Amino acid sequence: MTESPATKPVDGEACERVKNGLKPERNGLVRSLHRCHERQYKHHSLADEEEVHTASHYGSLYTQPFLESFEETPMLVAVLTYMGYGILTIFGYLRDFLRHWKIERCYIAREKEEQRDFVPLYQDFENFYTRNLYMRIRDNWNRPICSVPGAKMDLMERMSNDYNWTFEYTGRVVQEVINMGSYNYLGFAENTGPCADSVAKVTAEYGVGVASTRQETGNLDKHEEMEKLVAQFLGMESAMAFGMGFATNSMNIPALVGKGCLILSDELNHASLVLGARLSGSTIRVFKHNNMQSLEKLLREAIVHGQPRTHRPWKKILIVVEGIYSMEGSIVRLPEVIALKKRYRAYLYLDEAHSIGALGPRGRGVVDYFGLDPCDVDVLMGTFTKSFGAAGGYIAGKRELIEFLRSHSHSAVYATSMSPPVVEQIITSMKCIMGEDGTTIGRERVTQLAENTVYFRRRLRELGFIIYGNNDSPVVPLMLYMPAKIGAFGREMLKRNIGVVVVGFPATPIIESRARFCISAAHTTDMLDRALSVISEVGDLLQLKYSRHRKRPLAARPFDDSVYEDIDD
Amino acid sequence: MALGDCWKQLSWIYYQYLLVTALYMLEPWERTVFNSLLVSVAAMAVYTGYVFMPQHIMAILHYFEVVQ
Repeated sequence: MTESPATKPVDGEACERVKNGLKPERNGLVRSLHRCHERQYKHHSLADEEEVHTASHYGSLYTQPFLESFEETPMLVAVLTYMGYGILTIFGYLRDFLRHWKIERCYIAREKEEQRDFVPLYQDFENFYTRNLYMRIRDNWNRPICSVPGAKMDLMERMSNDYNWTFEYTGRVVQEVINMGSYNYLGFAENTGPCADSVAKVTAEYGVGVASTRQETGNLDKHEEMEKLVAQFLGMESAMAFGMGFATNSMNIPALVGKGCLILSDELNHASLVLGARLSGSTIRVFKHNNMQSLEKLLREAIVHGQPRTHRPWKKILIVVEGIYSMEGSIVRLPEVIALKKRYRAYLYLDEAHSIGALGPRGRGVVDYFGLDPCDVDVLMGTFTKSFGAAGGYIAGKRELIEFLRSHSHSAVYATSMSPPVVEQIITSMKCIMGEDGTTIGRERVTQLAENTVYFRRRLRELGFIIYGNNDSPVVPLMLYMPAKIGAFGREMLKRNIGVVVVGFPATPIIESRARFCISAAHTTDMLDRALSVISEVGDLLQLKYSRHRKRPLAARPFDDSVYEDIDD
Repeated sequence: MALGDCWKQLSWIYYQYLLVTALYMLEPWERTVFNSLLVSVAAMAVYTGYVFMPQHIMAILHYFEVVQ
C-alpha cells in the first residue's frame, strides 16, 4: 500500500489509508486537493457513464454545484454511424474512380496533365472527405445572411442544380428565421438602440479606417479609453486590445513563452491556441479534457524530470485552458486549476472567448461565475466578438505584462489598429453590462441569458436528446452522430424557419457530429418554445432522441382527482 | 384512409432507412445501384434458403434421431 505525497491530505490531517496508491477520481478530480475528513460525493441515481458531481462537500473550492454530463454514445448508434460512413466511403471511391477515368466530369481542383508524375496533392483523407462527403451536404454552411444577425434574421434563398457544386440565388429572401447559431449571447448584435446610435456618432467623427498600426499613429484616445474600461470590467490592472480574436491568441502566446518553456494545454483547445503554442517553439504537452488528475500528473512529471535531454528546470510552465469550450459546452474547472497552479508554481492563460459576458452573476466571465479573484489568473484573454457584438480580442493582466506586450507582440507592432466604430461598440456595450450608463439593461440581459440557458437545456434533456456540457453554459451541443442526419437536420430546421449550425468531421471526432445551439438574451420565451417544439418535431422525424435518461416533464397542472379523468382505461 | 396512413408509415420507414445507411446524401443513381445490390443479395439468400430448406430440415431431424 503505497502512500504517495499526492494522497497525503493537504493540511496534514490523518485520514483513512487509500488502497493501491493514488486512485483516480471518476471524473478527474484530484484527491490531494480535498480535505480527507469530508464525505465522498454521492452518486445520483443517474447511470454510471455520466459524470455528475455536486461539489457542496468540497467547501472552499466550489460554491455551487458543478453539473456536467457527456452521455456515452449508444452502441447501436455508433455501429450504424460507422456503417453509414463505410457506405459513403465506398461510393466515394466509386466516384473518384469515375472521375479519374473521365467517365464523369470533375468539378474540383485537380492536378494538371504535366504534373502526373509529381507527388499527388489531393489524395489524402481530408481532400477525399471534402470531395465526397462535405460537398454533398454543403448547402448547410456558408448560408448568406442579409440582415443583422440578432434573435431573428433573413437568409438569401439559394438552390443548386448540380448537387451543391454550384449555387444560384432564386432572388427570394427567407424572412424571420429564428437564429440559434450566432454567438449573440447578450443580444448586442442589433442595429437600433443606444449602442448603434453612439457608433453612428463616432463614425461621423472619426471615420472608419485608422490607416496605421498601434505603435505608429494608430493609437486613438478611444483605444486608451476602451482599454481602461476593459481592465476595470475584468478587475485587472491593465488590458490591451487587438483587432482579431484569433490573432490575439496566435500572436501573443509566442511573445510570452519560447524555447525552454513548457505549455500544458487542454485536449480540446481552440485552433488559435494550438497555433500560438506551436509558433512559440515551446514544448507542448496535452492533458485530457478538463481532467485535473491528468493535469496534475503532467505538472509533477514536468517538475521532477525537467527539460527533455538536459533535465534542467523549465523556464516557465504555462497552463492554457478555455473558459467555455465551444464544441462541448463544458466549463473549465477553474478553482482546481488555480489551486494546482499555486501549488506547483505555474502560470495560467485563460481564454474566455465564449464565457466573457455570458457567465457569472455580473457577466464578468468564468472567474465571476466561480467567485474567484481575477488576480489569480496571470493572463486573461477574451474576445469582443461574442457577447459585445463587436470584433477583436483583448489580453488583461498585470501592468508590467501588458507594457511588455505592447512592444513585443506581433499583433501590436504589425497589425492595423481597431476601427473606431468597433471600439465605440465595445465601450457602449461594456458600460451597459456594468450598469454605468444608468440603466439596468445590462443586468437584465445577463439574468435573462442565464434563465434562457437553464430553461432550454432542461427542456431538451426532458425531450430525450443527448446534450453535452455544463448546465450553465449557453453553448448547447445536441448529438446527431449519423452523417446523413447532419444534412437532414440542417435542412429540415431551415424548412421550418429555424437556422442552426451543424458540425461534422474535422471540428469534432468522426462519429460525434452535432448541432450546436447558442442561446441569446435576445431570445424571448416564445421564440425558445417555438424552437423547442420544432426541434422535438424534427427529432421525432429523424429519430434523434437517443438518451436513456428521459425524465418525464413536470405536470402542467397541480395534481388533483381530475388529472386521470381524460385517460382511457 | 387506412391506405393513406399505411403509405405514410412506409414512406417514413423508407426515410429512416435512407438516413441510417447514409443513402440520403447520395444521388438518385447511386441509390438505385445500392438498392439493386441489396435486393439482389437478399433475393439470392431467400432463393438459397428455399432450395436447401428441405435438406437442412432432414439433416436436423436425422441428428436428433427423430427420423432414420
